[in-house]
Amino acid sequence: MAMALIETSGLSKHFGQVKALERLDLAVEPGIIGLVGANGAGKSTLLKILLGLLTPTSGRASVLGMDSVRETRGIRQVVGYMPEHDCLPPDVGATEFVTHMARISGLPRTAARERTAEVLRHVGLYEERYRQIGGYSTGMKQRVKLAQALVHDPKVLLLDEPTNGLDPSGREEMLDLIKRTGTEFGITVVVASHLLGEIEQVCTYLLAIDAGHLLSAAPISHFTQRTPVLAVEVEEGADRLVAALAAKGVRARQDGSRVLVAIESDALYDMVRDSVADLALPLVRMQQERGRLEDLFRDASATASPGAAMVTGSPQ
Amino acid sequence: MTAQNLQQMGTTAPLAASSPGGSIYDLGYRHYDGPRRGRSWAMWSLFVESFRSVWGFGRPMTAKAAPFILTGLYALPALFQLAFSSVISQEMTNGSGPQPELLAYHSYFSMFYFLVFFFCVAQAPELVCRDQRYRVLPLYFTRSLGRLEYALARLASLAAALFLVLMVPCVALFIGDILMKPDTFKAIGDELPKALPAFPANGLIALGLAAISLTVSSFSPRRAYSAIALVAYVLLAEAVPAAVFAIGQSSDWSWTDKLFLVMPISSLDGATNWFFGKALQPGRFTGSLTAEEYAIAALISVVLFTTVLLFRYRRVPA
Repeated sequence: MAMALIETSGLSKHFGQVKALERLDLAVEPGIIGLVGANGAGKSTLLKILLGLLTPTSGRASVLGMDSVRETRGIRQVVGYMPEHDCLPPDVGATEFVTHMARISGLPRTAARERTAEVLRHVGLYEERYRQIGGYSTGMKQRVKLAQALVHDPKVLLLDEPTNGLDPSGREEMLDLIKRTGTEFGITVVVASHLLGEIEQVCTYLLAIDAGHLLSAAPISHFTQRTPVLAVEVEEGADRLVAALAAKGVRARQDGSRVLVAIESDALYDMVRDSVADLALPLVRMQQERGRLEDLFRDASATASPGAAMVTGSPQ
Repeated sequence: MTAQNLQQMGTTAPLAASSPGGSIYDLGYRHYDGPRRGRSWAMWSLFVESFRSVWGFGRPMTAKAAPFILTGLYALPALFQLAFSSVISQEMTNGSGPQPELLAYHSYFSMFYFLVFFFCVAQAPELVCRDQRYRVLPLYFTRSLGRLEYALARLASLAAALFLVLMVPCVALFIGDILMKPDTFKAIGDELPKALPAFPANGLIALGLAAISLTVSSFSPRRAYSAIALVAYVLLAEAVPAAVFAIGQSSDWSWTDKLFLVMPISSLDGATNWFFGKALQPGRFTGSLTAEEYAIAALISVVLFTTVLLFRYRRVPA
């Protein structure tokens, strides 16, 4: 059993009347961890508490066994942080800026220069790195932000909305970069995002928070390997099919012209075929679907807090 | 390229990297297991970076213009005297005509302080506003550097830069004074004790101006607003006591000259006279205050403004 990298217990953070986090209990193991939730769900607040930028109202949080309030300095040596907002001065080059940040992180002069060259190459900045950052595209700026978070070779990388403002191809590249950073370098990455589709692509573990509460926490395989779903598309009479299946004790739900059926046993396929035949419905297709996170999420949020603005769709 | 690097390339460089972003140069990611230094190194690094950016190094040419021109202008009268030192010394030995009045260490700042103040107005906002405006602060505060250390390193770098500005004319005056004398070695011995108080005096001026200008500047992320606020503060703090004093003279209030102690530049000026053991020039200073009292006031203002700066950085949003 691997040691929990990030732990929180009863963690709460209130800003006046606003409860950004409310009694959050987490135990995160190494990997690429997706932290999903709508805007304002408390993702950034959680990251800032882990970094010691904010003090929790109650409860405690720890990173690699170090307390976020008492051992802030220890945590900061092994954590890299990429903020959600712009954080780059426009009038210096990427090389100079990242080298400076490396020194502030405690790297000696020569090591800072070498590491800077290495991480800038890793994030894919080449000739441009001597130009002033003010002239960079959003995608290049995001790469510099990632580079400054990586330059001191942290054990944990906290990325707050790393794909913000990127176009689809830039987003794919950034996600690929995150995936490589997490898998090839053995750095634990926490990716906060409101786009579930992204999390699905790169993460090994999923934490979903909403309004400061934990909605779910499980390995991503847990979501994708859950009870498979059979989608039955009929030209008409979907409602009658749902009723017929329900009469036989099968869980089914209408989704437009489709009927989604939980595949709980092999006998189900026959049961569905027979029901369609009995009702003489015009069947278009039957297709097994991979359980998509979004479907699950919609269910979870619907039961947890109806009305809450929930995760928007995938980037495509 | 060292043999070790070549070897690493040979063993780890994948020519056709598996990922689409890979290239022939991709050596793979290497972990860093060298030394990691602590807080004092981080402070030193920020100090060096700040000092460089005060002078515009690592920035475009336009960033270098203001600091270098202002430093040159401030030193110009002293350099002028240095350039004509041989002519002046001839005049003095001939004794013909009126004796020229030479620039002195203790009154130099008093005459040309506005150029040093312009230097502060131009460069102090640069140091503290940029990081707030472009929200770089979270990157510092999530590293080894704390908020107070950040503020202190910035303050020290501006003070060091100002000290340099203030010392250039003093050094020019020193060299000029020596060249005017026939016996150089004897002149060094004679002049050095007179010049040495320039170190503590200029040190105090540098600290005082740095503390005031950084503190006032740190309250706005906008350079222009910070500069305006700084000019407004210093003008008001110099003018209001003088005005109250003028009123007090006609109304026979005796305490009004104590207000001079809050004047930021005058108190530093008065303190300079104390370091050189000179009486306050009557044309420049009115009222009954002594140079010693100005020196104490200047020290208190350094402590006070530094404290305000640290408080500001405890709360500045990151």
